[in-house]
Amino acid sequence: MPVPRGTAALLSAAVLIAAACEPGREPAELTPAETDRTMLDADRNAVRVVPPARRIVSLVPSATLTLAALGARDLLVARTDFDTAAWIGDLPSVGGGLQPSIEAIVAVRPDLVIHFGGSQDLQTPRRLAELGIRHASVRPDRVEDILAMVRFLGGVTAEPEAADSLVLHIESELEAVQRASLGAPDVQVAYVLGGDPPWVAGPGTYIHQLIELAGGSNVFSDLERRYSAVSPEEFYRRRIDLILLSRGTAFDERMAGGARIVHVSPALELPGPSVAASARELARILGRIP
Amino acid sequence: MRLSTEALVVRYPGAASPALDGVSFDVASGSLYAVLGPNGSGKSTLLKALLGVVPAEAGRVTVQDRPAHGWSRRDLARMIGVVPQGETLAFPLTVREMVAMGRYPYLGPLHGEGTRDREAVQRALVQCDIAGLASRDVTTLSGGELQRVRIARALAQEPRALVLDEPTASLDIRHEMAILELLRSSADSGMTVLVVTHGLDLAARFADRMLLLREGRVVAEGRAGSVMEAPILEDVYGWPVAVEPDPVTGTPRVTPLRSTDPARTPEGRNG
Amino acid sequence: MRRVGLSLALVALLACSLVLSVRFGSVDLGTAEVLAALTGRAPDWLRSIVIELRLPRALLGALVGGGLAVAGATFQALLRNPLAEPYILGISGGASVGAVLMLATGAAGAALWALPLAAFLGALFAIALVFGVATASGRGMDVRVLLLAGVVVGAFFSACIALILSVSEARTIQSAVLWIMGSLANARWGSVIVAALYTLPATVVLIGLARPLNLMAIGEETAQYLGTDVERVKRVALGVAALITAAGVAVAGVIGFVGLVVPHAIRLLVGSDHRVLLPLSFLAGAAFLALADLVAKLALAPTEIPIGVVTAFVGVPLFLVLLRRSLTA
Repeated sequence: MPVPRGTAALLSAAVLIAAACEPGREPAELTPAETDRTMLDADRNAVRVVPPARRIVSLVPSATLTLAALGARDLLVARTDFDTAAWIGDLPSVGGGLQPSIEAIVAVRPDLVIHFGGSQDLQTPRRLAELGIRHASVRPDRVEDILAMVRFLGGVTAEPEAADSLVLHIESELEAVQRASLGAPDVQVAYVLGGDPPWVAGPGTYIHQLIELAGGSNVFSDLERRYSAVSPEEFYRRRIDLILLSRGTAFDERMAGGARIVHVSPALELPGPSVAASARELARILGRIP
Repeated sequence: MRLSTEALVVRYPGAASPALDGVSFDVASGSLYAVLGPNGSGKSTLLKALLGVVPAEAGRVTVQDRPAHGWSRRDLARMIGVVPQGETLAFPLTVREMVAMGRYPYLGPLHGEGTRDREAVQRALVQCDIAGLASRDVTTLSGGELQRVRIARALAQEPRALVLDEPTASLDIRHEMAILELLRSSADSGMTVLVVTHGLDLAARFADRMLLLREGRVVAEGRAGSVMEAPILEDVYGWPVAVEPDPVTGTPRVTPLRSTDPARTPEGRNG
Repeated sequence: MRRVGLSLALVALLACSLVLSVRFGSVDLGTAEVLAALTGRAPDWLRSIVIELRLPRALLGALVGGGLAVAGATFQALLRNPLAEPYILGISGGASVGAVLMLATGAAGAALWALPLAAFLGALFAIALVFGVATASGRGMDVRVLLLAGVVVGAFFSACIALILSVSEARTIQSAVLWIMGSLANARWGSVIVAALYTLPATVVLIGLARPLNLMAIGEETAQYLGTDVERVKRVALGVAALITAAGVAVAGVIGFVGLVVPHAIRLLVGSDHRVLLPLSFLAGAAFLALADLVAKLALAPTEIPIGVVTAFVGVPLFLVLLRRSLTA
């Protein structure tokens, strides 16, 4: 390589050193006394629950709804551009839920920021850690995750009883749907989120779980990822009885074949406390309950 | 300053036959030397080998009294001003900027041009009669003007030798003569001038000596009278010619013949 | 003189753009508050905003913008091609493959430096590959081969990215696309230091090569006859310009347009003498990117628009005006 080797090596080393100087995000080492004052978030990081959060920024819409359901609406000090419900009022926005304006977050002086877990937005939690702002991730992929999110948010807001009763309520609703659907004939269901080629819900999603709970079979339960785009050929090849579309989703109806197409409410795509109502909606569509 | 080669062989990578095969010549200070030959005979290669741009496979190239590769590029640039054949400018430049590039061999990376450099540039502009064009964009010049700018750049190098590759190609009579007069007077003032050209007649009038190449080999070398003989030229160029003394200047004049010309027949030539 | 006037104007513009970038952001702060934060007499949250967020971001924008403009001018001279820009040799493609791999494998989540380092190494790999092809003949570096190899290698990297993304989760695709579009939002003091370590010395080296670059723009043969070691100049200048670009991409993603248009705009104003062109391109690129980032931050605050969108929206009309003026002059 014609770049002078020594120089290149030296400069690469400079990148390494400068990068290593930046604070990373190490899971906190906890003493036994601290363990009961912390909870693990969705990324398995320990988050302090004392003192309880009193100024919260939630970047995740389903977490925002969960906080509202826990009666912690007043603790929210900002919203994202996607939180447009009337009750949010005129809270300042911090931009999108992914890669929000850190500056806008700092300016509302939160004592807790709820953000997306996993690899969707790596920068935001790092930034918050550097600035010494308490933060926690949620990742409501499956029903268990949603329940864990409810308990977690109850914990950090010092409302564990409210969380426990919300969890109980959701669990009993889901059980009721499951009981009503027992022994019903099998229905092959595809849940289409939109897109061309269409994106569908695969296994490992609460949507998959709700379909199975309501006595349906997810046509795409063999996919490897939670949500993925599938070839239109798959729609022709597989036996599908029912296609669920959220309202306003474009879908080439020729792909339906003989399947019935039903539009579901957008709330079905919110992995929050509304899963109980969503399960009932699916059960109604599948004719399990009136 | 002396420029010479001895039994020079140059071969381009992958080529079966050498581009230059045993070429020797010697140009003395204060003389104008012409390199002649048909297309592809190795004229431009000879210049590049002389200037160390293409490597020699065998033989020797001497600049002043040292092998050419013994000089650094910078040293060579201070001694030899070169006007290569074609240049295409990637970006516009003014005439003065272009001529001032002739001073680069004298400047350090962070040193600006001094009084001496500016004087040399101004002298070169005046010598080539382009002082009036100094702030023009070179991309807007005519062929003759551009050629004079490039020669001025070489003169601004204050060299002891000038090497030019077809400096008057595609110029009209006035511009061609003006450039050749400039080269002649440079030689007369002691400079070594080496010109590659297709213009046989003018070479005969301006050059002290000439070299005739064919397929990389020297066919003839010497004064115009000994090189420019009809049988030699017919052999080299593969075309019938008549060579007669020019009635005005007395130097040899070459006339390529058509099939209908009377001189084309042996009787005509003899008569 | 025109060059002196323009230099002073650009220094003033850069100073203004840095001041504005610190003064304004998505949060509405008063001048007094910003000054208090800078002098340390402000609450922590205010100092965080000004010193940890706005200041490094403004400086990073200036360094990356200046570096890209200088690298662009250098590539244009060496490749003798007005369409050349810093990413033309596949550097952005190599960096993107490195970054996207880190995102797809989850390594980017494990360590903060994994992504920029992988992007940097990807860029170096691209440079090595393209230089290797261009010097394969053993007769020096052929810039036409270099250009062609760069474009082809770039296309190959695009295919690699498409392949990685097609087998990735939707979330990975989202973060990869955001990274590829380029952003200064992740500026930290660490990235400012990295960018400065590369950009500033490299810019000085290139300014030192200004005369050989002038000659290269006329032609490699002529440059040799005027005393230039052409092969050495090509290797050093291309290598240094490529390193600037690689470091810029590693810390700020692929920000387009600056490296192509800023050098042309300066050329139209002061001509093609690289002794003037390179320093002025640095100043103009630095001021331009800092201002573009200000627009990116403020236009739809608190949501940011991609900075590449701003550089194109502001830069294209500006450039067309300059081009028109130079044609009618």
